Amino acid sequence: MMQMIEKTKLQKNAGRVLSFIKNYLVLVSIVSLVMITIIVEPKFLTQPNLINIIRQFGPLAFFSLGMTFVIICGFIDLSIPGIISLVVIVTYSLIEPLGQYAAIAAGILVGIIAGYINSRLIISCGALTNAEALFITFGMSTVYGAIALIIAAGKTGHLSWIEKDTSAFSFIAQGGFGDFLSFSFLLFILCLVILYIFQSKTFLGNTIFLTGGNKTAARLSGINTFKSIQTVFIISGLMSAIGAVVLLSRITTASPVVGRNYDTNAILAVVVGGTRLTGGQGSVLRTVLGVLLITLMSNCLDLLGVSPFMQTMLRGLILVIVIWIDYRNQGGKQ
Amino acid sequence: MNIQNNLKIASRLIIKQKTIIAVVIILVVMIFTGSGFYTTFNIMELLKSAAVLEILAFGVTLTIICGGTDLSIGSSMCLSGIVAIILMDIIPMWLAILAGIASGAAVGFINGFFVVHQKTEPFIITLGTGILIKGLCQQLTDAKPISPSNTSFVTISNGLVFGVVPNIIIVTIVLMVIFYCILRFTSFGRNCYAIGGDYGVAKYSGIDVIRIKWLTFVFSGLTAAIGGIMLSLLLNTGSSIYGDNTPLLVFCSAVVGGTSFAGGIGGIPQTAIGILLFSLLDNSMNSLLISPYVQMLTKGIVIVLIIWFDCYARKRKREAV
Amino acid sequence: MAETNSTPIISLKNISKTFPGVRALDDVTIKVMRGNVHGIVGENGAGKSTLMKILSGVYTKDSGTVEFDGEIVEQTTPIQSINRGLSIIYQEFNLVNSMSVGENIFLGRFKEMHGMKGIHAKARELLDSIGCKINTYTMVADLSVSQKQMVEIAKALSYNSKLIIMDEPSSSLTSDELKKLYEIIGYLKNKGISIIYISHKLNEIFDLCDMVTVMRDGHVIDTKPITEMTHEEMITKMVGRSIEKEYPERPRCVGETLLEVRNLNTRKLHDINFKVNRGEILGFVGLVGAGRTEIIRAIYGADKVKGHELFIEGQHKKIKNPIDAISAGIALIPEDRKLQGLILSQSVKTNIVMAIQKKHTKFGFLNKSSEKAIAEKQVASLLIKTPSIKTRVVSLSGGNQQKCVVGRWLETQSKILIMDEPTRGIDVGAKYEIYMLMKEIVEKGASIILISSELPEVLNMSNRVLAICEGRISGEFNPETTSVNAIMEKVLG
Repeated sequence: MMQMIEKTKLQKNAGRVLSFIKNYLVLVSIVSLVMITIIVEPKFLTQPNLINIIRQFGPLAFFSLGMTFVIICGFIDLSIPGIISLVVIVTYSLIEPLGQYAAIAAGILVGIIAGYINSRLIISCGALTNAEALFITFGMSTVYGAIALIIAAGKTGHLSWIEKDTSAFSFIAQGGFGDFLSFSFLLFILCLVILYIFQSKTFLGNTIFLTGGNKTAARLSGINTFKSIQTVFIISGLMSAIGAVVLLSRITTASPVVGRNYDTNAILAVVVGGTRLTGGQGSVLRTVLGVLLITLMSNCLDLLGVSPFMQTMLRGLILVIVIWIDYRNQGGKQ
Repeated sequence: MNIQNNLKIASRLIIKQKTIIAVVIILVVMIFTGSGFYTTFNIMELLKSAAVLEILAFGVTLTIICGGTDLSIGSSMCLSGIVAIILMDIIPMWLAILAGIASGAAVGFINGFFVVHQKTEPFIITLGTGILIKGLCQQLTDAKPISPSNTSFVTISNGLVFGVVPNIIIVTIVLMVIFYCILRFTSFGRNCYAIGGDYGVAKYSGIDVIRIKWLTFVFSGLTAAIGGIMLSLLLNTGSSIYGDNTPLLVFCSAVVGGTSFAGGIGGIPQTAIGILLFSLLDNSMNSLLISPYVQMLTKGIVIVLIIWFDCYARKRKREAV
Repeated sequence: MAETNSTPIISLKNISKTFPGVRALDDVTIKVMRGNVHGIVGENGAGKSTLMKILSGVYTKDSGTVEFDGEIVEQTTPIQSINRGLSIIYQEFNLVNSMSVGENIFLGRFKEMHGMKGIHAKARELLDSIGCKINTYTMVADLSVSQKQMVEIAKALSYNSKLIIMDEPSSSLTSDELKKLYEIIGYLKNKGISIIYISHKLNEIFDLCDMVTVMRDGHVIDTKPITEMTHEEMITKMVGRSIEKEYPERPRCVGETLLEVRNLNTRKLHDINFKVNRGEILGFVGLVGAGRTEIIRAIYGADKVKGHELFIEGQHKKIKNPIDAISAGIALIPEDRKLQGLILSQSVKTNIVMAIQKKHTKFGFLNKSSEKAIAEKQVASLLIKTPSIKTRVVSLSGGNQQKCVVGRWLETQSKILIMDEPTRGIDVGAKYEIYMLMKEIVEKGASIILISSELPEVLNMSNRVLAICEGRISGEFNPETTSVNAIMEKVLG
């Protein structure tokens, strides 16, 4: 018995050390990376590059903010690529008939509806473990993506081809106060503030942590766990839509396959930032840090001439390591 | 009362055999559409495209039955072909092919380490390793398709036995028989069922759960590699875009055929029919000239429905107070 | 007739085992003679299952010696124990539901049995030897409880077991199936196999056993040949204990009917009807698996149950989930505080305010100062030992963790508080504090439904006791006037 107790203490301490390493190693590595880059490629500190970094903050940041809540609640949303593609295509297709503002509104609505559908499917399945959410959202990504393809008839559109007014999009992409306070950056800050307040100061936000911490205990204490699950998926859908509109404004092309890879990068940003995959804890602020780290990493590696494929590998490697440590510490949650 | 009972028994039977019935329905419908479905060429194409998926599915069946999930099979599929083609310039072709297959097994070994030894959640960690391997594929090929320098490469899978049946189909059948025998006649296979059926009971009975479950991941990587090589042989090209949608498709086919996510149930024949159904769906929709996007949508909806239904059925069982 | 050797098949000497907060086994010494059917009786928590798990290798003993078939056994794994000749048939069965009978019997021994043919042939042989006609290809999930039992017995035979331990074998058996079990035990005895028969069905103990051991609170009270034991004596030994001053004075403030449950029927429960009065502590006694927890989960809406009716203060209430229950004034302190009661990764404050948080919000925003005040109030009044309200509950002791759960529900000012094993794993001092708390709660006009496996606790604290047996209410008693033995009889059925 004593041996049993000692072993778990040792495991606990090992877990603490590992998680310390995980949290700070990533931070330390990337700071080191930045410093190395500055030395090797002083271009890093030039204005165009720094502006570039802030710009890259755009779409991924929105997706990651949405993903944060899903992960805190103990799930994962893999339908983001599909939602992005769908929102982009729907928005683009509706500019002609409805005008740009209505089109944007419609796009956002699509994201919300998609999130709602996801949550309904998961809830009706019992929503006890993450496994169901993983497969269902993975599958729904294909569905949303396919709908996008059908609407677009496989073709890619350009904003410039549209005869109606598309100035809103240019504003989203380029407007703002100077180079550093671009509209999308300000929009991001606004979303961040709202979501932070939601997360830390509202009752509904709090229930998300409780649901992610222990669904059974939360439910038995009278918390409407289904409502929190619905909320996080709708938030994720909403943020995906906002990010998609920003994306469309930036790249000005509406391609039905534009969403690829954003889901894994969003997950990566969230977990690198320190929010546990196992749920019950985390913060949007941490995610911002994660997005920053990933963006910096990407930027530095680009400047250092590392191929984009190596970068994909590196991202995969980091994801694997972070997930591994997360689950090790948790010791296999039910 | 008797009629009611009979109806109940009949409907339970139908649900059990739903996949076979669906296959039969599609085959019958295609007779009446006069769409060029029933030509030798088309049937061969159907079997060839099904073959690659079947090969992957064999290893995947092992993992599912044992209670695991491997989503990196798409990437392993890419990697093997690429490795083989690259190495073909340096070492003899058959050795290069073997190396390609070994690469899949290695990926499987790593997956097994995380899932079984470290008890990480299989879905998410294999997603991660999948990304890592995919990146590797892209790096090795600079994201461009590569061709083998050896011209006999393409004949390996497209070559015909008895002048009619493509080699790849022979390989598939051989593998099917092998895996069927493993699952039915070896202690390894039977223990997989035990572990997937009830991990605790299996462990209690002295079964080496860790070694066996780990091995299923190696097998899954192995078959992914073999399938990938076969595909590269078929198309005479190694490319880093293979296998993007494969994991999901293979899993759902297995589930629809009767190999449940829950573990401990199903087998090779069930999975094989499931894959056949999906390939049939694909092929017949193509013959009917249905737009590829509508096809994607149909497939996506079918996949979600299947998974949802599998989960829902388990939920109902749990809630039966 | 089997010869009773003078050597024991298994000899346990001074076995002790402690878990955090509770001494499960204290200096247990038992000898089971070869060829005997040896009964072990005791209430919940007597230590029977802990003892079995030590024998089978699931738990490690803290001290003492185990000698099996002449060999001293130190640490062992389950499969080693089985191979040595000691099989246990658990109440929940150790079978893989999705596999066939034959494969289950030879689970993990596919090779030695030369494949499927060999397995099914030998399985057929074993099943025939105990008179069982099941097809070896049937899936275990399709078997009845009695059939599953026979599969387990066949499994034990396949390992040439010398000792078979049966844990509550006759729950869920019909009288015909029970007869069959008697026959099989007779057959096993003839083969020279010893049996340990753990059961609460005293009739069966008297029918089948040669020797019987009575356990209580982790001790062996007595071991005697069954011929020297009486029914009355057995029950007394199972429950008898000196009632120390562990409990406060019984509260006496019972008023009119507060809660009425009618017609509760589920797969497990049958015809449950009862009332709870204001200011009353109503105790539920019963064996593990009798249905007590199922009853309260049904009332609380934690399980999906239909067809029953609930009346609170005379008004009909529909309770479909815990949220409804809480608004109707019912609170539940669940059995397993770690899995169901607490969010271990969250703070003391969060765990305490969880249930009433919503009430204190303003336009959906949390009222952090109220929450802090509430948490501090509860920590002070319940004497919860914690460095601060921000400490994670996972680092608190069991008793303090439980107090957090209790504090949470006290805040809700519920009319009916259901406490399922409220003092499990808690030290004596903390227990007394919780009893005092219970007294306070009912004196303020609320009611408590108390489920506990500790008979003295229920008998000393309750105003009224319901005995639950196999899904039915088998009796209703006044604990002050009814003898413990009488209550125990109804519990055992």
